[in-house]
Amino acid sequence: MLITCPYCGPRDVIEFTYQGDGNRERPQPASQDLDAWNAYVYDRLNPAGDHNEIWQHSGGCRTHLRMVRNTVTHEISSTGFARGDHNAAARHKAGGKS
Amino acid sequence: MAERQSPERQLPERLSPLEPVFHTGSHGNFEHGVDVILTETRPGSILQLAAWPGAEKQLIEAIRKVTGLALPDGAGGGVAKDGKAVFGFAPGKFTVVDEAEGLASAFAKVVTPAIGTITDLSHGRTAIRIAGPKAEWVLAKFFAIDFALPAFPIGAGRSTTHHDVFAQIQRSGADQFDVYVFRSFARSFWKALCHASEEVGYEVQ
Amino acid sequence: MSPRRTETGGRIDRLRTIRFTFDGAPYTGHAGDTLASALLANGVTLFGRSFKYHRPRGLLSAGVEEPNALVTVLRGEVREPNIAATMVEIYDGLVAVSQNRFPSLAWDVNAVNQLGGKILAAGFYYKTFMGPVFGPLKGTRFWMFCEHFIRRAAGLGKAGIAADTSRYERMNAFCDVLVVGSGPAGLSAAKAAADQGARVIMTELEPRFGGSANWSGETIDGAPAADWAARTVTQLEGHDTVRLLPRTTAWGYYDGNTIAALERVTDHKETPGKGEPRHRYWAIRAKTVVLATGSFERPLVFPGNDRPGVMLAHAGERYANDYGVLPGDRIALFTNNDSAYRSALALKKAGAAIVAIVDVRPELSAEMRSLATEAEAEIVSGHAVVATEGGKALSGLKVQRFDMNSGTLSGDARSIHANCLLMSGGWSPTIHLASQAGARAEWNADRQAFLPPKPTQQQWIGAGAFNGSFSTVEAITEGRAAGLSAAGATGAPAAVPDVEATPGNPDPAPVFEIKAKGKSFVDFQHDVTAEDVRLAHREGFVSVEHLKRYTTLGMATDQGKNSNVPGLAIMAEALGKPIPEVGTTRFRPPYSAVSIGSLAAERFGDLKPERLTPMHDWHLANGATMYSAGLWFRPMIYGLAGETIEQAYVREARATRESAGIVDVSTLGKIAVQGPDAGEFLDRVYTNMFSTLAVGKARYGLMLREDGLAFDDGTTWRLGEQDFLMTTTTANTGKVMQHLEYFLDVIWPELKVTVTSVTDEWAGAAIGGPKARAILAACVTGTAVDNTALPFMGIVRGQIAGVPVMICRLSFSGEMAFEVYSGAGYGTHVWEALVEAGKPFGLVTYGLEALGTMRIEKGHVTGAEIDGRTTARDLHLDWMLSKKKPFIGSAMMDREGLIAPERLQLVGLVSLDNRPLNGGAHIVEELDAANPHDSIGHITACCYSPALGKHIALALVEGGKARHGTRAFVSDPLRKRFGPVEIVSNHFYDPDGSRMHG
Repeated sequence: MLITCPYCGPRDVIEFTYQGDGNRERPQPASQDLDAWNAYVYDRLNPAGDHNEIWQHSGGCRTHLRMVRNTVTHEISSTGFARGDHNAAARHKAGGKS
Repeated sequence: MAERQSPERQLPERLSPLEPVFHTGSHGNFEHGVDVILTETRPGSILQLAAWPGAEKQLIEAIRKVTGLALPDGAGGGVAKDGKAVFGFAPGKFTVVDEAEGLASAFAKVVTPAIGTITDLSHGRTAIRIAGPKAEWVLAKFFAIDFALPAFPIGAGRSTTHHDVFAQIQRSGADQFDVYVFRSFARSFWKALCHASEEVGYEVQ
Repeated sequence: MSPRRTETGGRIDRLRTIRFTFDGAPYTGHAGDTLASALLANGVTLFGRSFKYHRPRGLLSAGVEEPNALVTVLRGEVREPNIAATMVEIYDGLVAVSQNRFPSLAWDVNAVNQLGGKILAAGFYYKTFMGPVFGPLKGTRFWMFCEHFIRRAAGLGKAGIAADTSRYERMNAFCDVLVVGSGPAGLSAAKAAADQGARVIMTELEPRFGGSANWSGETIDGAPAADWAARTVTQLEGHDTVRLLPRTTAWGYYDGNTIAALERVTDHKETPGKGEPRHRYWAIRAKTVVLATGSFERPLVFPGNDRPGVMLAHAGERYANDYGVLPGDRIALFTNNDSAYRSALALKKAGAAIVAIVDVRPELSAEMRSLATEAEAEIVSGHAVVATEGGKALSGLKVQRFDMNSGTLSGDARSIHANCLLMSGGWSPTIHLASQAGARAEWNADRQAFLPPKPTQQQWIGAGAFNGSFSTVEAITEGRAAGLSAAGATGAPAAVPDVEATPGNPDPAPVFEIKAKGKSFVDFQHDVTAEDVRLAHREGFVSVEHLKRYTTLGMATDQGKNSNVPGLAIMAEALGKPIPEVGTTRFRPPYSAVSIGSLAAERFGDLKPERLTPMHDWHLANGATMYSAGLWFRPMIYGLAGETIEQAYVREARATRESAGIVDVSTLGKIAVQGPDAGEFLDRVYTNMFSTLAVGKARYGLMLREDGLAFDDGTTWRLGEQDFLMTTTTANTGKVMQHLEYFLDVIWPELKVTVTSVTDEWAGAAIGGPKARAILAACVTGTAVDNTALPFMGIVRGQIAGVPVMICRLSFSGEMAFEVYSGAGYGTHVWEALVEAGKPFGLVTYGLEALGTMRIEKGHVTGAEIDGRTTARDLHLDWMLSKKKPFIGSAMMDREGLIAPERLQLVGLVSLDNRPLNGGAHIVEELDAANPHDSIGHITACCYSPALGKHIALALVEGGKARHGTRAFVSDPLRKRFGPVEIVSNHFYDPDGSRMHG
């Protein structure tokens, strides 16, 4: 599988580390809402189809990426830097109910 | 770190991590010609510079001011000449190399906290040069990146990995590459590089 | 002259004679021969014994699909079994042996299995060896009894036990166009793409490029096809953007248009070149792949179709035209299609007598009739072969009138005398790679074959026989179009090539099997007969996937290259369904056998790279026994002559506490945390405050995970207002780095902080003990090291041996101790200067064992206690949990289950029977060695403590703190270690820290 890093270009998946479901929203640091924390720490979407994911190009430029990957076909339909695109999950909830 | 003092008196020579396995001369299948030359370039300074988002241009200008090297546009762009080299390896991040020591102090004056950070890796990275007509061939045994000239122009840099060995690679000539690896892995990587070069014949200089 | 070698013809080099042995007998062949063609030329017809029935088997094919003629090649002590003789290029000194026979190939005792054919039918093993166990020899116990004999009788070649000393390599390649296959279609595609300037790689699994052009006898653009192919290859070699890979099998098609290929670099050589790998594993990332993989001829299924001398029609043609070998001198053919007529004519031209062409079709075209006439062959149309005769070689066959609509036989059998029978059951495109790439094959009723559909995700284009376009003119036309399109060109392809070829209709009659008495083989390699397939159906197997597994059809090393379609056709008939409704199995990698060595490639030996500290060579030169910790190598002990490990570490630890010791701590993870928001970031990452830390000071910090459990600990030094040096445990460095990067990139991108791994920048030496300060004072210049200049957790800069150093006063051993950091290139200089300065003070070097001993005595935690299940409270580190700020894990750490009083908590244990304790041993309240139960915890680390003169341990015990002063027991039934312990505080030694604070 190849992942196109927005900085390094297409690289083998072996250079990347999966860093989790990109749909999670971390509560405000001081939040005491345990349900929200619980959802953030433990709840994961597991769609058969497009999924919002966070990957790190750990064997390359080490930046974190937000990707939409189809969990059935492995097709990656979009890739971008996680930094500076912090709210991408809110805009594109692939695999969500929308 | 950035403010490591420049030495007032002559320092002892740094020890190379390759010392016991660095054997000059021709090796491997060299009877049919030497197709790669391996060496350790031992630059005096290796720095990592990082710009805050939006301050990249200022950092590139600072690099030009200190080293005289003008970075070309684009991800992974770089240039190497006159014993100095610079290339981008991540968004807003650059590796700068100089034969001479003391590059960190030179940058400390121009890279202000508003621009970004300076990290001195002069001891932490080992620079291995592989040159010759089969340099691309030998490196392709290790790294899953495209070494062909159109895909990897002269001066450009790449960050990649061979198993656990993280590497930054700059193409410093048409058939010459400088590979920067973590010092602790350098001996292991050097041995593997020599092993992989046996087939084409190699010379250690 | 060999008995079967023709006078002229073939692409072998008749001037070069090559000597080799097969089953110990010497043979000769010519350069360009395969083991198969060379043995065939020598009159050898018997190549192996079949898998189950031990039937004699000869060559079925001339290529990669060969199911029968599998041999073992020996190179010294190293043996490689199950290689098709058709794929072995002979070289001087080649040693090959046949397989699956005892005591010899010609006389095999297990051939009696043929008599037990009914017993060994499909599902024999399942039926015989499964099920309830009644009596002494039923079911699985019966299997255990029989296994030895069956394993010896069944199966193929034996794997060797000698270590393979060959070198294997991996190679990464990139191209615009990868062309798989170098027949007329592949060559044309590669040429068209290369002429457009594209970067092209062409793989060919055989030694010679050209595919069928090498033996078709056709003429392309006025030249013999083989010359056309050679000329095209020369043109391709002229492009420096083209890489041609002969002897290279593209075996896997993966996501992102990544193709795995195996290049057999030296298998054909007597001795490999220096440093040359035996096999090269190519990982090719291609923008577009052109699949020009051709097609396989199918056998017909009829009784005795596996007898030596029965061969695929094109294979016979190829042996004659490519290798100058006649598979027989009286040849009969049996076919359901036109392509066999070309084969007949080719063999006639090569010098064989064609005695008959048996065709299941009642009506033949005038063109075929004229070809038969030209071959001087009798046409036996509307007939089928119903039996073959002979033993280790064919002597004749029987034919009977056949109605291809009803499949029935009628009339009297007629005998035909022949020593070779060539069969053709139609052609199946080689769609394996397309199938791997996700395309589902589509049945084409005209071609009676599965054809590749349009590609789904992957970027490939098919050409030639792969598409079911079996003529050379179509192959070249489609190849050119594919090459142009793959190179992104839009121009019209060149003019249609001028090809002179034997005419023929590509569509066969829909006949796969002749039902007559006797064993008719579908899968030759796994000995699966047509009757086995029907038996599986009668027993209720209706899915093709189940059929495959029950009968093992298509599951041998050839992966059913010949047998898939006939097997399906027979299954479809049994089910009364059309073939496309029965479906086809999905092909999976690898396309053909791949050496394990090539997959491991350069990862030989220990597989892992080694990480060495700057002082590594000094340690080795000074008697250290090294210990591998993750990828790092660290001194375990510096043993003196005659010392045991325990004696050495006890001496080292004792000397450190009595005078001073020095240890290499360069492996500690070090991360530069820099930038205006560095202090704020550390406040969020650590449970305690760092923004308030003064420049020139260090602080011990603890990190939690988001779920509130402990993650890592270490000291962080403030080197400047915006410049911190974080240290992590050796094992966790990578994880901590990723953790920090994740938060900076994903959660708090607004923070201006960079993190950089500087582990390798610094050499670290920790020097501790009552004399440590005096030793430093003796060798450090440029700074004082007294209590005022260098208080606990203070940092100073100075020089040792002229080298700039940073010294931080902190302690892991519990003694007055200092960590001395210098540039890694100077690490050995500084280390040697410290050791030299320490000599008058009795300084010792110590290793991991003594380090561990002293940390256990102090009750410090490491990865053994921060094990992903413990909280800060469990480890008595709750004093580090700031209440002034949120931090990672602060919201989750107070959950009910994480603060429960019965949680495992860190305690110390003292052995009360003066015997050593074991890591991992359980702790129980009441000892019951016969029936160990009710664990209340376990030991995480243990040692003999020289400071206490006792065997001690750290342990995690339920409600541990409340148990201080009570007695419990260790219960370790595996190592038979039971005995009393006292539960105490984890701070065994100097609990108030007076030694460390001085």
